[in-house]
Amino acid sequence: MLTPDSRDVRCTSTPCSEPAVIRLRDSGQYLCSTHCIRHVENLFSRTVEDQRMIAPGDRIAVALSGGKDSTALLLLLHAALPAWPGVTLIAVTVDEGIAGYRDETIGAAVELTVRLGVEHHIVSFASLFGGDLDVLLKGRESRSCTVCGILRRRALATAARQAGATRIAIGHNLDDEAQTVLMNLLRGDFPHLVQDAASGEPECFIPRIKPLAWLSEREIVTYLILTGNYRELPECPYTGFALRSEVRAMLTGLEFRHPGTMKNLIRSRDTIRQHTPRASGVGSVQRCRECGEHCSGEICQVCRILGRPG
Amino acid sequence: MQIILPDRSTRQLDCGTLPIEEILHRFGINPVSVIVTRNGRLVPETAYAEEDDEIRIIRVAHGG
Ligand SMILES: [Zn+2]
Ligand SMILES: [Zn+2]
Repeated sequence: MLTPDSRDVRCTSTPCSEPAVIRLRDSGQYLCSTHCIRHVENLFSRTVEDQRMIAPGDRIAVALSGGKDSTALLLLLHAALPAWPGVTLIAVTVDEGIAGYRDETIGAAVELTVRLGVEHHIVSFASLFGGDLDVLLKGRESRSCTVCGILRRRALATAARQAGATRIAIGHNLDDEAQTVLMNLLRGDFPHLVQDAASGEPECFIPRIKPLAWLSEREIVTYLILTGNYRELPECPYTGFALRSEVRAMLTGLEFRHPGTMKNLIRSRDTIRQHTPRASGVGSVQRCRECGEHCSGEICQVCRILGRPG
Repeated sequence: MQIILPDRSTRQLDCGTLPIEEILHRFGINPVSVIVTRNGRLVPETAYAEEDDEIRIIRVAHGG
């Protein structure tokens, strides 16, 4: 039998000798429960401050799927509110209409907003686009995540605008962001690589902020468990993003062997952005001939998916 | 010891005391994609597991 001391690893924050709950692979730090929660809150605040994501008087629409990332995002934003004068929060949940998956996550979202006392709006694909994702996807299931992503972004922007929001906060984490950078590179998609949604480009003029962009999935799940907010929820049944799965597997392997890879990838993107003139992004913004929304072509992606005109 | 895998299936492992990362390695699981509890408490993967422990492996990556 090992003694507790040889069996456990201790927190490396000083002065602290509590048992560690997590090892941060890139910095080599071990953190106990208290210091892990503090680390996540600090990293979140620093991201918001460094990138000036929030201004006094902002009304932030939090994209709340009810899953782990958006749950952590709402909790962190809500906890930080007292420090931000005049800033208000609302939560927006998009119901894509995915059978056997969404009901439970929406239930979790409702529970959380009631508990925190946050105004909550739920918008559905059915009401906005005339059908559930399951129906809209017929015949193009292989593109499910692309189609869903485009529609979800429009649904969020519409709901946020109706609610008078000045920012949309998205729960994308470090892993998501690193995957997106690599995917854009692998596809040769320079416009999407350099486009910065925080500036309100291109289709939605409400800036999209990502306060969790420097937090890994492990840090987020650990934070939720430690604060008693973790729950297991069903996975989305659609897996139409073949490239993302491959990129995820590859990055997870690289991060294991070369800790810090994901953060370096994001730093590289930021450096490229800084050296890129604004006009190199997704192109000039016009209005869609069909729906009048901002877009980069004659007809927006949403109308093309919905088969308008026709 | 009892191992609960991310898909919730359980395995019995009789191998004495060993670091949790060694268990992950045996099951072909990358520590970057999971977190681990030992007897219900979160532990870093470098902590040790012993005979009577229950080790639960939770996947953090969605869709993978
Ligand atoms: Zn500590
Ligand atoms: Zn349109």
